[in-house]
Amino acid sequence: MEEITRQWLWVIDLWGHEFTLNARTLVMTWIVVGVILFFVFLATRKASLVPHTAQNIAEMMLEAFKGLTDESIGERSQSYFPLIMTTFIFVLISNWLGMVPFLSEPTRDINTVFPLGLIGFVVAHATSIKVKGFKRYIKGYFEPFFIMFPLNVIGELAKVISISFRLYGNIMGGAIIIIVVSELVHNWLLPPFLQFFFGFFVGTIQALVFAMLTLTYISLAIHE
Amino acid sequence: MFKRVFYTMTMVAMAAPAFAADASVGTGMIALAAGLAIAIAAAFGALGQGRAAATALEGIARNPAASGKLTTPMIIGLALIESLVIYALVIAFIILGKI
Repeated sequence: MEEITRQWLWVIDLWGHEFTLNARTLVMTWIVVGVILFFVFLATRKASLVPHTAQNIAEMMLEAFKGLTDESIGERSQSYFPLIMTTFIFVLISNWLGMVPFLSEPTRDINTVFPLGLIGFVVAHATSIKVKGFKRYIKGYFEPFFIMFPLNVIGELAKVISISFRLYGNIMGGAIIIIVVSELVHNWLLPPFLQFFFGFFVGTIQALVFAMLTLTYISLAIHE
Repeated sequence: MFKRVFYTMTMVAMAAPAFAADASVGTGMIALAAGLAIAIAAAFGALGQGRAAATALEGIARNPAASGKLTTPMIIGLALIESLVIYALVIAFIILGKI
């Protein structure tokens, strides 16, 4: 049971201030980045008109997401497609990493997920300012009445909370359930199926939801 | 039925101070509050999500060719319903922080 609360921290002393780094999350994020780089290297090496396996998978994913972004953003989709695609692949590989023994998902840590949500938030608002102009952007907060201003601000901030805590809660909850149930059945027969369900199924759906929500926030910022 | 539930809840609330010899009962109540917060939110969120999924499936059953077009809006809708449950999760974390 102690896996749940076990921490692996690096404490760095800089000019009298203590900085705590979550070492497990950092190392796992590096592994994820390595896996993605390896996959992309495999996919783009000897790229040909008749695609080989890795290239085929990469092209399938890219085309599916290109269709989604084109559909919901429209003519500006070219500049937002890389962001959505990168978010999706990063979150997907992160969620899948929990299936590998001795490794854990970096998305299990709120410190990984919250900045990812924040990126989408900042991009959406920057887009909104760029498309509508600063005056209309500010005016959007006072719709439909003047009194609604605090509600609108809270609604915008709540988007970041909900998008990041959704991913964190799903992955963390899955990990805790795997540990607890494995303990209950004395690591007999059940854990691999649980790992597969929470790592593969829930992980894929949550990665898709995360990318789709980022896309939706951006397209809302453009079209409203 | 509601009367009985209310009665039971008052019984629980009344019974708590009866053996409140130390502070541990107070922390127990805080833990109970966190658990109830996420439990109620999850129950009703699941009801709403079930309705959404059922309607989407009905649409797909009538017109199987539309399944590709229905899936994405359905997932977004489910995510938006789910976000209220996630606020409850955040509140449960905040309550747990008080222990």
